[in-house]
Amino acid sequence: MVERGGEGSGETRLETWISIVLMAGVAAALILEAWGIALLYRASHSLAISHDKAMFIHGRNFFILLGRRISGTDGSLGAVRVLALGIVVLILTPYTRTVMSVVYFASRKNLKYFFITLFVLAVLTISLMMH
Amino acid sequence: MLSLLLISIPVGFVGALTGLGGASILIPLMIFFGIPVKEAIASAMVSVVATSSGSASAYVRERLANVKIAMYLEMFTSVGAIIGATITTLIAPVYLYFFFAAFLMTSFIRSETSRDDVHCQGLSGSGDLSCRLELEGSYFDEATKQVVFYRADHPVLGGMGMMVAGLAAGMLGIGAGAFKVTVQENLLKLPTKVASTTSNFIMGMTALAGVSVYLFSGLLNLTLMAPMAVGTTIGAVAGGRVLNRLKGPLLRVLFFAVVVCIIIEMVYKGIASW
Repeated sequence: MVERGGEGSGETRLETWISIVLMAGVAAALILEAWGIALLYRASHSLAISHDKAMFIHGRNFFILLGRRISGTDGSLGAVRVLALGIVVLILTPYTRTVMSVVYFASRKNLKYFFITLFVLAVLTISLMMH
Repeated sequence: MLSLLLISIPVGFVGALTGLGGASILIPLMIFFGIPVKEAIASAMVSVVATSSGSASAYVRERLANVKIAMYLEMFTSVGAIIGATITTLIAPVYLYFFFAAFLMTSFIRSETSRDDVHCQGLSGSGDLSCRLELEGSYFDEATKQVVFYRADHPVLGGMGMMVAGLAAGMLGIGAGAFKVTVQENLLKLPTKVASTTSNFIMGMTALAGVSVYLFSGLLNLTLMAPMAVGTTIGAVAGGRVLNRLKGPLLRVLFFAVVVCIIIEMVYKGIASW
């Protein structure tokens, strides 16, 4: 569209990178979720909705919690680890595009948007880490 | 899980056609099938991240969604979503049925005509907050074959409206897309296409803020989130592809029918649980 006159917000490079990050993040997350569902079926021969404690993501610091989930140090099964990893990738997709925006506006010396995006990033980071 | 996956695909499809998003329809369906309301809301928020990020990718690439306006408004929606999600973890589930039904009624608010062809270059007021915040842009309209310039009005009022949208989204596990579009069209005076695509872009971030609260409350169930995320995203992508081929009146009838059914079910559930 930009070649036909529309410029969006005028930040073409940022828009292109955001588009790529969003598409790649969602595609990777959905592939992991589908793979996790298949692994779960192979392991348990059931696709019933489970309310077992192992099926819930629960913790006080998102980043520490997810590190444990992915590395398997919390004792979860392979299928659960893959499902959790898919959710991690999904959660990190909009987070990553915010980090990218902060870096972009810093590099462009656009202080207004550097602080606006930094505020959003700070709110998200605090909410993910400090409960 | 397989049933939920299969249900999520048509739900994501209808959600994309009506503009309601998959979560608004899926949550009442899950409650109908016996999933606890708080678990249904928390898991649906994750599917909002998936569907929003998937469709926003195309809108940003096509320069329809305005990333600067979105980032400005995200300051308000992210804070609202955290407050909303925190309220949900604290209040009795019965109230959520009524809040859900009441909030869906805001979907019936019709938009006023937005103001196009206004941009900061034609304004003498360098003191204009909207221009100072660079809340303007342009896009190529395929229908009229013209470049449309726009500028957001009332940025403070619009921000407050978006905080309410974020609060409702975090509280009810939905994207609150219809309400966000209404705020952007009526308060910020953005063109409809910019309002709906920018709203979609913001939804993912708002949902993420809400998800963070549910994460710590232990309400995120992997066996619910996985099939919902996969199903609604597939459905939403398919819905987005046929959207432009369907006639407006048909979409309005579908929207009206779906919203009325959901409101009736949620009010009934609320009364039954009282």
